[in-house]
Amino acid sequence: MTDVRDETTGSGDGADSERQFGGSADADMQSQQGDIVTLSEGPPHAISAGSGPKLPPMLRSNPLRDPGDRRLPRVPEPCALVVFGVTGDLARKKLLPAIYDLANRGLLPADFVLLGFARRDWGDGDFEALAKKAAKQYARTDWSEEVWSRLSGDIKFVAGSFDDDAAFDELAATLDELRNSHGIKGNAAFYLSIPPKLFPTVLKQMERTKMADNSASGGWRRVVVEKPFGHDLESAKQLNALVDDVFTAQDVFRIDHYLGKETVQNLMALRFANQLFEPVWNANYVDSVQITMAEDVGIAGRAAFYDATGAARDVLQNHLLQLLALTAMEEPVEFTAEAIRTEKLKVLRAITLPVDLGRYAVRGQYDQGWLAGERVVAYRAEQDVPPDSNAESYAAVRLGIDTRRWAGVPFYVRTGKRLPRRVTEIAVLFKKAPHLPFSHTDTEELGHNQLVIRVQPDEGVTLKFGSKVPGSMMEVRDVAMDFLYGEAFTESSPEAYERLILDVMLGDATLFPRNEEVESSWRVIDPLEAFWQNHPPELYRAGEWGPKLADEMLARDGRAWRRP
Amino acid sequence: MTTLWDTTGTAVVQALAAERRSGGAVTSGLALTLVVVLEEKDTAEVEAAVATAAAKHPMRVIMVLRHHIEAPQPRLDAEVSIGGRHGPGESVVLRMFGRLALHAESVTLPLLAPDAPVVAWWYSETPEIIAHDPLGVFADRRITNVIRDSDPAASLQQRAVDYAPGDTDLTWTVITPWRAALASAFDTASSPAKSVVVKGNPVDPSAQLLAGWLSSRLGIYVPVERAEGKYISSVTLDFEDGRNVQMTNEGYKLLMRRPGQVDTLQPFPQRTTGDMLAEELRRLDADGPYGEALGAVSGQSGLNQRPAVRKHIWHDPALAAQEG
Ligand SMILES: NC(=O)c1ccc[n+]([C@@H]2O[C@H](COP(=O)([O-])OP(=O)(O)OC[C@H]3O[C@@H](n4cnc5c(N)ncnc54)[C@H](OP(=O)(O)O)[C@@H]3O)[C@@H](O)[C@H]2O)c1
Repeated sequence: MTDVRDETTGSGDGADSERQFGGSADADMQSQQGDIVTLSEGPPHAISAGSGPKLPPMLRSNPLRDPGDRRLPRVPEPCALVVFGVTGDLARKKLLPAIYDLANRGLLPADFVLLGFARRDWGDGDFEALAKKAAKQYARTDWSEEVWSRLSGDIKFVAGSFDDDAAFDELAATLDELRNSHGIKGNAAFYLSIPPKLFPTVLKQMERTKMADNSASGGWRRVVVEKPFGHDLESAKQLNALVDDVFTAQDVFRIDHYLGKETVQNLMALRFANQLFEPVWNANYVDSVQITMAEDVGIAGRAAFYDATGAARDVLQNHLLQLLALTAMEEPVEFTAEAIRTEKLKVLRAITLPVDLGRYAVRGQYDQGWLAGERVVAYRAEQDVPPDSNAESYAAVRLGIDTRRWAGVPFYVRTGKRLPRRVTEIAVLFKKAPHLPFSHTDTEELGHNQLVIRVQPDEGVTLKFGSKVPGSMMEVRDVAMDFLYGEAFTESSPEAYERLILDVMLGDATLFPRNEEVESSWRVIDPLEAFWQNHPPELYRAGEWGPKLADEMLARDGRAWRRP
Repeated sequence: MTTLWDTTGTAVVQALAAERRSGGAVTSGLALTLVVVLEEKDTAEVEAAVATAAAKHPMRVIMVLRHHIEAPQPRLDAEVSIGGRHGPGESVVLRMFGRLALHAESVTLPLLAPDAPVVAWWYSETPEIIAHDPLGVFADRRITNVIRDSDPAASLQQRAVDYAPGDTDLTWTVITPWRAALASAFDTASSPAKSVVVKGNPVDPSAQLLAGWLSSRLGIYVPVERAEGKYISSVTLDFEDGRNVQMTNEGYKLLMRRPGQVDTLQPFPQRTTGDMLAEELRRLDADGPYGEALGAVSGQSGLNQRPAVRKHIWHDPALAAQEG
């Protein structure tokens, strides 16, 4: 009964309004402190936090915010959100709609400004018109003119190009004015929704105008960067050094929108809130893990970017390795950004590549074929792709994790475009029972027990296990027990970007990978890319589950890919 | 939909099972059972509210309508449907006549979803003592609606007398947007509050609960001063450092006025009963802040320390009417 209740109650906006681990843990530490005298070198953190000096002038805690009050939403402090590249695809399809959705759900602070920056000769009104059109077209929640008209008063625009000093001076001055007129208190988050090659220009402008400086602004200054975080370890290090230097490392928010998805967060609830799964979550019981991210679309007009990048850099390096880290990490000591990122980092550092890359790393490229009843062209025939391109649209690799928990368990990871359907899932395949008292023919159709976390679509969890087929004979066959996230909690899940933008404004970095995680991930990808330099991708027909070699790679280990 | 006239509880259970089988997989993940106690005149409103809430919480809804307990012959009529006008979930409408109405649990208990929490909601009238209604005794959460009683202010006081953790009232749910706005205003406060005044209708339970909540959280007495309007019209906050904030309900909008700063207008959504019911169903454990606010309104302390489980007290309205 309690389980059902816990799950039900975790769904709402108010549910995550406060982290609840603080109070009781503090009390425990204090009582332990009394018992164990030898530990009394200095007061533990918990005590000093409770009895420190009064800190004027800001109230240290809000008397109206009670951790037990779960109806009140988490609303950020007054702030501005500055978007560079507001005319771009990402801004129109994701960011502006997400901001409207947040406003509609009452999750924006009363004092809020959305500031757009682009090379257009525009006034506030022109930008507002673009934002309205984008929000109306792509918003998740119902459209309300009321909500928009209130938000539209808080939308500002600054025109200029990124190398224009005057434009950035104006931007800095505008932020200063808004501090008083709109009460945003010097708080601002800068969203870099621009091509990565422009990051240095923009960051240097922010450094020059001191816009990134917390102390000069008298509030917080944060920056949001989008993938790709570099194209190899070296470039990632340079990029990290630059952003972490202009801002401080803790004020940098790297978006991996997969982490904003409800099911990915549910993975942590599943693993760490339940007694049922953790005991078998290790090499003693797990045979192998398969992580799949399949897309049915092709490269859709992003040829220039994609051809230089490829599937491994575009998807494997970030989304898939993050999913792997969340699946394989140890339990964080507390549910805080630092603790979770620490555990993820440990796993990422423990990842090993197969010695024999020729047999256990496969890259593919789609050929022409039929998908969902339509003829589609080959990758090399896509617009703006060189006809002799060797970029991969599919990548699969067997990874290992060198820890006591996972020693010997292969993690098969794959991603591809023009596969039969769009699906992302994590499948944990358990070992077969060591002994079956049934005759061989009785259990012919019995496979591995599986726990499948469906990230998208049909978010949810499936448990596959053997069950007797009704009838007079003993015959065991696999059945699936399904938990559909959208069914138990039909409150439609917020878009990943809604959640992530809100977290940036709240300063909660739990769902954002840290610089070392990015670098560790490149350490996995770089040797693969080096090996693939001299290995052209294998062709697969569009509409198939990837190249034959990928199937052979698992067959060699006596396994097969799940059909997701 | 299956309609059963003059039927038995067992037949209703079987009808529900049959509907579930023919309905296929759509109904597997039930999170709770909602038992609504209502009067015939309110069915349309309750159906609309339940449909809204059921879209957010997969649940089984059991509506209990009690008729003519003095009727000589007990009788049960039932309506079973899945995915109909009561939203996407499962629903059972039970009309009970005669003495059966006093034993509603005998039909309701076998219909509860296995091992899922039970929420009871009295829509039309709040029982004076919840323990008199067996449906309120097995419910994990109990939602009342004093605004529909003849004297809502007195009814709210009675809620405090009868309170057990797990009770809430919709006059409390109504003020969540107010409370969220006030909490945000305090996020940026630079000193403690010196005085706070709620203006509105002093006998409105929501105005009282808002003032009660503020006093319980701030540790100062917060009065409700009479002003225009039926409910809450404004809240004024004065801080020790001399700053002040005035928040006024402008109908669908909340105006926040602070000296030296531009006024802000926030959307102040008018929520339907269904929206509020959905908010109630989001958490199924006791609502501590409500208990504290109700304690402040009624001058009683220790409400949240009372036992959460009620014992049924046999109560026969027919006898009570004779005696009284
Ligand atoms: N689109 C997605 O779904 C997606 C997904 C993941 C990550 N990302 C990342 O998000 C970022 C933005 O992506 P996007 O798809 O929105 O790109 P986009 O459509 O190409 O937009 C880029 C924006 O940057 C501006 N811009 C480009 N060059 C400029 C210059 N020299 N000076 C001033 N402004 C310039 C553009 O303004 P003009 O209109 O004036 O050209 C436009 O507003 C990129 O880092 C991308 O890698 C995007």
